[in-house]
Amino acid sequence: MSNVDLLGRRKFIAGLGVAAGAAMVAPAMAVSEKADGVKWDKEIEIVIIGSGFAGLAAGIEATKLGAKDVHIFEKMSYFGGNSAINGGLFAAPGTPMQSKEGVNDSVDRMVADQLAAGCGIADEALLRHVAEHAMEALQMTFDAGSEYHPYLQQLGGHSVARTYQTTVSCGAGITQPLLHKCRELGVHTHNRSKFEGFLVGEKGEVLGVKMRDNYHFGEDQPGKVINIRAKRGVIMATGGFAQNVNLRMAQDPTLTSEVGCTNAPGATGEGMYEMFRLGAVPVHLAHIQSGPWASPDEGGFGYVSNYSIYNFPHSIAINRLTGQRFMDEIADRKTRADAELACRDEQGNALPPILITSYKDSKKHPNTKKVIKYNVGWKFDSVEELASHFNVPLKALKTQIEEYNQYVKSGEDKQFGKNMTKAAGKYIEAPFTVVRLWPKVHYCQGGVQINTKAEVKDSFTGVAIPGLYAAGEVCGGIHGVSRLGSCSIPECMVMGMTAARSMMKA
Amino acid sequence: MNTLKIMLALGLLCLSSASVQAVEIRDHHKEVIGKDCKACHDQGIKQFPSDQACQQCHDVDELAETTARSEEDKWQNPHNNLHYGKELPCQECHGEHKAKKPICSDCHTFKYDKHKE
Ligand SMILES: Cc1cc2nc3c(=O)[nH]c(=O)nc-3n(C[C@H](O)[C@H](O)[C@H](O)COP(=O)(O)OP(=O)(O)OC[C@H]3O[C@@H](n4cnc5c(N)ncnc54)[C@H](O)[C@@H]3O)c2cc1C
Repeated sequence: MSNVDLLGRRKFIAGLGVAAGAAMVAPAMAVSEKADGVKWDKEIEIVIIGSGFAGLAAGIEATKLGAKDVHIFEKMSYFGGNSAINGGLFAAPGTPMQSKEGVNDSVDRMVADQLAAGCGIADEALLRHVAEHAMEALQMTFDAGSEYHPYLQQLGGHSVARTYQTTVSCGAGITQPLLHKCRELGVHTHNRSKFEGFLVGEKGEVLGVKMRDNYHFGEDQPGKVINIRAKRGVIMATGGFAQNVNLRMAQDPTLTSEVGCTNAPGATGEGMYEMFRLGAVPVHLAHIQSGPWASPDEGGFGYVSNYSIYNFPHSIAINRLTGQRFMDEIADRKTRADAELACRDEQGNALPPILITSYKDSKKHPNTKKVIKYNVGWKFDSVEELASHFNVPLKALKTQIEEYNQYVKSGEDKQFGKNMTKAAGKYIEAPFTVVRLWPKVHYCQGGVQINTKAEVKDSFTGVAIPGLYAAGEVCGGIHGVSRLGSCSIPECMVMGMTAARSMMKA
Repeated sequence: MNTLKIMLALGLLCLSSASVQAVEIRDHHKEVIGKDCKACHDQGIKQFPSDQACQQCHDVDELAETTARSEEDKWQNPHNNLHYGKELPCQECHGEHKAKKPICSDCHTFKYDKHKE
């Protein structure tokens, strides 16, 4: 068992927040301008901003349709955005593996599942468009060389098993092959290139972009702004804004810098802001998903997230101040995230709660070994040891465990009404594994409104802004209140492909 | 490291008297680069070196071999990692003028004992 400096870690949480907040205080001013009299430094056929699933799929598709001069610009020093750190879970209906496993699925069924999670405010037309073309996107990854586990998974909210996962259990199993494919096809990829604003024609049409070259994220080397003319148009694939504390707090004041974030550092949203300034319609910005399964002992998604998602049904979450449970461990994400944030010491400082699982049950998840190996989770042989390590009142904890084990037996959780079906027979007994919990902002459902051609609508005229397309997480409203797991990859890729198709037809 | 490349880099050295305050040059860099800021600052002294600058002397394949890990941990190789392959610009994790953490530590607690912050 390792020795972890809990106090240091707490300071770390606070420090992190401050740093993240400070970084966002003064972003370089981005502005769109009239292109009138502008000196073009470069002329390009297609400009794609952002190098995640949406941007890469757009690059490949445009080239396949005959575009000769396609460029992807990425502000970070590395390519891939959130897509390169994602979980590699990809949902599609009517796939080869479904026919092999005899799963009865359809476009209608996938749309129905997503509409249910969207709670009445999802965009059915877009969901249908994505589901109809999801298999083409999956095929694009096969063609590029992505490899998947030889089985399907059925994730929460899906009525059938329709989810593939890359063999590396990460989105990089898709972004790496797509990036190589892009280059093989002759797509130009530029890192350290930050989009700063649009250059607009007489009728409000997008003619080009202002791009900051040689840009170093988070450093004070400003780089140089160049004007790029985009002959066919611009595809915005800049992802979400989960890393932008100011903007997310404007939507949901509980999402302070104290709440962590699973996203890549580049998810700061200025591409989206700039489209709003141009007239794009903002949709569902306040629907921001936080993951209650994350840990303050590692950054981002790390290893604990998947560990605890698997273990919540047969574990207890304990407030370290009281030694007692404080939530239904499988309540919806928002309820749990709020309950965790309320766990504080007498001074009101964050006191991340702990998730206690019997080792016999936790060890079935492949991450358990890693969680222990990399000191983001701990194994204890007795309650005493556990309680003293986390400074939890021993007596209260013991009583709580006894009480909970009664619920496991009776199948009824008298404290929080948790559905005990999946906890049946799984008593909380030594040895234990324990992780600390703290919510992290994970996914932005909101963004600019698009239609099924990936065109960006103008808020005043209701018609598409000429020359402007958007795809991926930067777009809003598609999923509604809640996005089902594994439904972002198909959306990003299909809409990226769609943007390329629309542009090549325009 | 390729000796021919080191010789070339040495050959490029010109005696510059520019101040190198705040430079915490690695010992091996001292030998090769001395006080020639331009050896790394190929885009001008006030600019960060280009992403290719380090590769005048360092070869990513060789680096990847040096930092290779066991099969179970093979993708934790900082010079050939799961998310970005061999493409991560050196400056993402290494700085000559300021301490840097490996980018992996954004999300993981892997240990890189030889990494100089
Ligand atoms: C940890 C994690 C796990 C996830 N797991 C899954 C999963 O298993 N399945 C699933 O379906 N979804 C998952 N999601 C959601 C999904 O990964 C994202 O929604 C998706 O990757 C977004 O893709 P994108 O192409 O829209 O944007 P991104 O992949 O984020 O790419 C956008 C890129 O644009 C760049 N950019 C931003 N602004 C600018 C600018 N001004 N100039 C130039 N470039 C700019 C960014 O740096 C970034 O590289 C996960 C998300 C996270 C964070």
